[in-house]
Amino acid sequence: MIELIAYLCKQGLATQKKICPELDQAALGLPAIDPLKPCLADECNNYEQICPTNAIEVKYEDADKFKPEVRLDLGACIGCGLCIANCSNGLITRNLSTQNATRNREDLILSSAGTQTKSADKNTNSTKNMFKKSLAVRVVSTGCSACDLEIGAAANPIFDMERFGIQVVASPRMADALVVTGPVGKGMHKALIQTYEAMPEPRLVIACGTCAISGGIHRGGYAEANGLAALLPVDIFIPGCPPHPWSIINALMMAMGRSAQ
Amino acid sequence: MIPVYKKLAINELANTIRADLEIEGNRVGLVTSIDGNQLITLMLNTRSGNTVLYQAELASDSYTSLTTTIPQLHWHERAIHDLFGLIPLGHPRLKPAIINESCETIFAPLRETAKPISDKLLATRDFEYLHISGEPIFELPVGPVHAGIIEPGHFMLSCLGEDVLNLEVRLGYLHRGIEKRITEIPWRKARFVAEAAASDTACANALAHALAIESLLAVEPSFRSQGLRTLALEIERLAMHIGDIAGMAYDLGYLVIAANFSRLRGTALRLAELLSGSRFLRGYICPGGVVHDPDRLLSEIQRTTKNLRENLKPALDFFISNPAVYERLRNTGKLSSSLASEFGMVGVVARACNIAYDCRQSFAQGSYPKNHPTIALQQEGDALARTLVRIAEINSSLDLIDTILSDLPSGTIGSNLPVDLPANAIGIGIVEAFRGELIHLVITDKAGSIKRYAIKDPSFNNWTGLAIAMRNNVIADFPICNKSFALSYSGHDL
Repeated sequence: MIELIAYLCKQGLATQKKICPELDQAALGLPAIDPLKPCLADECNNYEQICPTNAIEVKYEDADKFKPEVRLDLGACIGCGLCIANCSNGLITRNLSTQNATRNREDLILSSAGTQTKSADKNTNSTKNMFKKSLAVRVVSTGCSACDLEIGAAANPIFDMERFGIQVVASPRMADALVVTGPVGKGMHKALIQTYEAMPEPRLVIACGTCAISGGIHRGGYAEANGLAALLPVDIFIPGCPPHPWSIINALMMAMGRSAQ
Repeated sequence: MIPVYKKLAINELANTIRADLEIEGNRVGLVTSIDGNQLITLMLNTRSGNTVLYQAELASDSYTSLTTTIPQLHWHERAIHDLFGLIPLGHPRLKPAIINESCETIFAPLRETAKPISDKLLATRDFEYLHISGEPIFELPVGPVHAGIIEPGHFMLSCLGEDVLNLEVRLGYLHRGIEKRITEIPWRKARFVAEAAASDTACANALAHALAIESLLAVEPSFRSQGLRTLALEIERLAMHIGDIAGMAYDLGYLVIAANFSRLRGTALRLAELLSGSRFLRGYICPGGVVHDPDRLLSEIQRTTKNLRENLKPALDFFISNPAVYERLRNTGKLSSSLASEFGMVGVVARACNIAYDCRQSFAQGSYPKNHPTIALQQEGDALARTLVRIAEINSSLDLIDTILSDLPSGTIGSNLPVDLPANAIGIGIVEAFRGELIHLVITDKAGSIKRYAIKDPSFNNWTGLAIAMRNNVIADFPICNKSFALSYSGHDL
């Protein structure tokens, strides 16, 4: 017993003090678009062969062939980093932020035509402050388990989301927010809707990870695994495949109406 | 690896497999079909590393069940039924396995499109539990959505008082159509889908995929990339084994140690991030080699490993030397060695039953031929044995990481691959994932595109083991038993 206490004292405090910091330089992160760099799509033109989920689109709308608009959907991106490595002009760059969650699906679509004006905050006043002090979260997994492991990691001593009042609960009856991971294939439709219906109102729905947002790599397959939005109204989208534990905590704090700073 | 290909008649298949299994070292790797018109069986020899693929053509939608004489094929035949609509006549418990029965509209997705699915076939989709009758029996349904943060699966426990008489495992909720998707997209993008089969096993899946594709293309990756791949695979094993022990400590109520292990798992994930940029090693291994060289970060990986080893050792000692842990795990969820080999258990579960099967030795690739670890064996087959095997493998993985880092060959990390895959070819990749034997099988058609891609996750074999091991245990031990097997739902459901 004494040895155990001595060992634990020697280990010190593991919890990170800085909330939602940038990812380490070694991490791949997510892509970002630098609107100042022109796209040389005519020269490289291989984004279609590279992107595994076809998240990149190059458009020539304004008939100005030299200035195509590049759109990148973070809600479909699995963060493989191939576009960053292959973009010859540095238009697509690395984004190490852990604060990428959005309330609107459209806000996840990046464009080289400049940052779009963010659509109006659809957060209703009724839920805005209700969960400010605490948020009980129910997690339903429908995917490959990476996002589940990262939600589990968010509760570990390093990230310790319980210090922000976020708790994972064992029943939908006690839950304020439903966090769904995975692309929601046909086999999980019934169980997921029943879980949602068992939750008391007001309730929030959070799509955690690229699969839950858009179906990701599974989109369009026969198993109808096209993401959560086809079944339930989604309040918050967390991009990433899987999102970093800090990204998850950031999104949950967003759900509570608190900022990460 | 390219298997020896043999054609035979369907009525010879059962006898051939049985005769093969008599020979020491032989085991069934995978039984499936290509498009519903044939059965293919992959036999592995764990001594010589030889593989044979039998193909038997089918004349109709049904065949005599192989399960009646080779019990370990019962789950394979259920999966074939789900994916192709083929009926094994005489199968004792035919019901859905990998596609949940609620998904009627997606029944038999891999069947040749020209062959219609009759109503008679759809009528075979009922999931009927094995009912145990009697007045004092009660049934406890659990899932599919569980209390914690776990993947979905349904368990029906039939109990007499505290004792579980039977556990029925019902899966298929996570079916996402991985195998079909890989045949629909360009083969260069297929690796991302292959590793999404189960992302806790992302690295092993990517490696098995790369090995299968490389065997088709007859490409040998550079020595440096082989070393880096082995490094990645061992880091994944290390991180996941620590995570499983953390889960076990949590289920036993030893929370101080559980929290400590989950923190140390964070350090193992840091190793993965340093190596590949992803905490789950996603997208790192590709056919032909690896994606990037961590070069400058290798010394930091070395330092972090040293640090992890120093902190991990006392924590493991505290955990396993605690009498409460020892007593609770001993004799819990016992699986006998004979049943384990009869039902084809793999990985940690098999080694805990004294079955010396480790693909790092039997089908060595990468750095394994040079430095394969000794196989961690235990005799008892209980939850304690499985935990001890995991602990031994944590230590051997740490040793391996050190060995590979100190002796990493120099050179390039990738190779140029041909544009097209060869026509009418078969390739397989066999990898020891942290749960056990993982097989990827790829078959191309005459145009050189992928016609059939099959994945056999280690959990596919081991779910049966959990059901057997749970019998006659008290119901309160179910979480511990389940955790000691630590099986994947997504890898099974695909």
